[in-house]
Amino acid sequence: MGGELRSRWWLGLAYFVTLEVLLIGALAYWPQFSENLDKLRSLVPLPVLQEMADEIEASGFPAYLAAQHFFKGAHSIGGLAAVLFAMFAVALEVQRGTLEIWLARPVSRRRLFWERWVAGAFWLTVPVIASTLTVPLIGSFIEERVALWPLVLCAGYQSLFLLSIYAPTFLLSCWWANPLGIGFTMLLVALFQMSLYLIERVTHYSYFRLADVRVMVEIYDTETLPAGFSAVLLAIVALTTGLAWARFRRMSP
Amino acid sequence: MKTAPPLSPTADSQGRILARGLTRRFGAKQALAGVDLDLGPGGVIGLLGPNGSGKSTLLRILTGLTQADAGEVWIDGVRLEADGLAVRQRCSYAPGEIALYGELSGARMLEFLLRGREPAAQARGIELCRRLELPLERRVRGWSHGMKRQLLFAAAMAPGVHVRILDEPTEGLDPKKRGEVLAILNEDAQSGTTILLSSHHLGETERVCERILFLHQGRKISDETRASVLERARRVLRVAFASPPGSAELAALDGVLRARVDGLQASIEMESADPRRTLAALSSAGGLPAPIAIEHGSLSLTDLFREFYGVEAC
Repeated sequence: MGGELRSRWWLGLAYFVTLEVLLIGALAYWPQFSENLDKLRSLVPLPVLQEMADEIEASGFPAYLAAQHFFKGAHSIGGLAAVLFAMFAVALEVQRGTLEIWLARPVSRRRLFWERWVAGAFWLTVPVIASTLTVPLIGSFIEERVALWPLVLCAGYQSLFLLSIYAPTFLLSCWWANPLGIGFTMLLVALFQMSLYLIERVTHYSYFRLADVRVMVEIYDTETLPAGFSAVLLAIVALTTGLAWARFRRMSP
Repeated sequence: MKTAPPLSPTADSQGRILARGLTRRFGAKQALAGVDLDLGPGGVIGLLGPNGSGKSTLLRILTGLTQADAGEVWIDGVRLEADGLAVRQRCSYAPGEIALYGELSGARMLEFLLRGREPAAQARGIELCRRLELPLERRVRGWSHGMKRQLLFAAAMAPGVHVRILDEPTEGLDPKKRGEVLAILNEDAQSGTTILLSSHHLGETERVCERILFLHQGRKISDETRASVLERARRVLRVAFASPPGSAELAALDGVLRARVDGLQASIEMESADPRRTLAALSSAGGLPAPIAIEHGSLSLTDLFREFYGVEAC
């Protein structure tokens, strides 16, 4: 496990730094944003984004944080990281022919599978949680006080959402020996889902609805995870991981 | 249909490779069709066969890397089950395909290959790499094909196991390195290890293997000791005729077991290594064309498999 974790630490660090820079930049802009919210709101082109602005107007800083850190930062950078960490996981071994030496050692397949899965999941979720934990500190510089526990819940839910992208990509990586093909496929799916999100009439069919600003604000306010959405995300993670394992355990070099 | 009883290894199974009814199909291709093995304990066993004959599939099945559709395997007294971990703990394996992590140094690559082995294996691996003059401090990316092959070989020879399975360990090596690898193999075999190796170098198979298996189209078509193979080679007479001879007439000659005709060439397997009886019968036979060249006792292993089975050994 240690080796797998160490092999990705720099990617995890780069991901954390990117999230943190975006977060600091966004929070530093909050005082100006809140003062000019009315003017900015009138510039928002799409009804779906206007909904987001309404949410920020109603809930204030937590909604702004959800929009900037979770919806913008973690969805885009995190989604990219989820695909990047998972698409190479097994497919690259097949593509470059190293699957045989990876599997030929006296180490169980279960262990090899979980080491790689968990290492990717660790570096995918820990930077989101870690960067979220810095929010109270950054908030103190702009005189915004936020409770830590609701933020942890939001970060946990965001991590679950990212895992629901990571696990299907990992499944594809076990089936298809073309990491770039997997990456492009997932990118196209993400773009399609974001397009759905932005179109008012079909926005409710978008996957991003499961973790948008409204959902995050609700988690922050109620301090509970949305049971139905969480169950759906957990089911996706469990199902695709199970299928990936079923495939991996029978893989032949 | 009578089915073979299950394998039941006993206390003397240490160092043995036992298999029964190994079958594997890849789509329309039958890679293995009911292969049985009872090898060891001890000794070097050569696995020969043309490309696509199922050699690598067989070796991968024995190590649990590929699952057989049917059949069972016991290695060193342990049954191959689930993902084959227990078997891989009892044997070492050098793959035939060379693909390493180019970004790692030789030492790190060796460490990777020996993960899960006893701590002493690492030291033995380094010692073997030094003997093979491998630059362990350099990144594997810059190594030659032969150097990478030797690293895989060293990693397979380092663990303290009773069984080693090597897929073409000398492929791509220059004669000097090949000699060194064979010397290491011989030393290891003398300590009682069972080594099953596939090879395309028939000369080296003749040199180091005490027993030779021949695989063709997924079937084991020959399993003989080296002495027996060489004895058979001495019983083959190759005759060139001026016009095509009849195989039935040749097979009917005194002292002939069987005959195979290919154009003007005929291969005659005799009852004994002494060709005089057959030569006398050949010279006195009425219905056969006159022989124009006769060759005896000079068959290589390649020739032998071609003559006996009509297939190329590699």
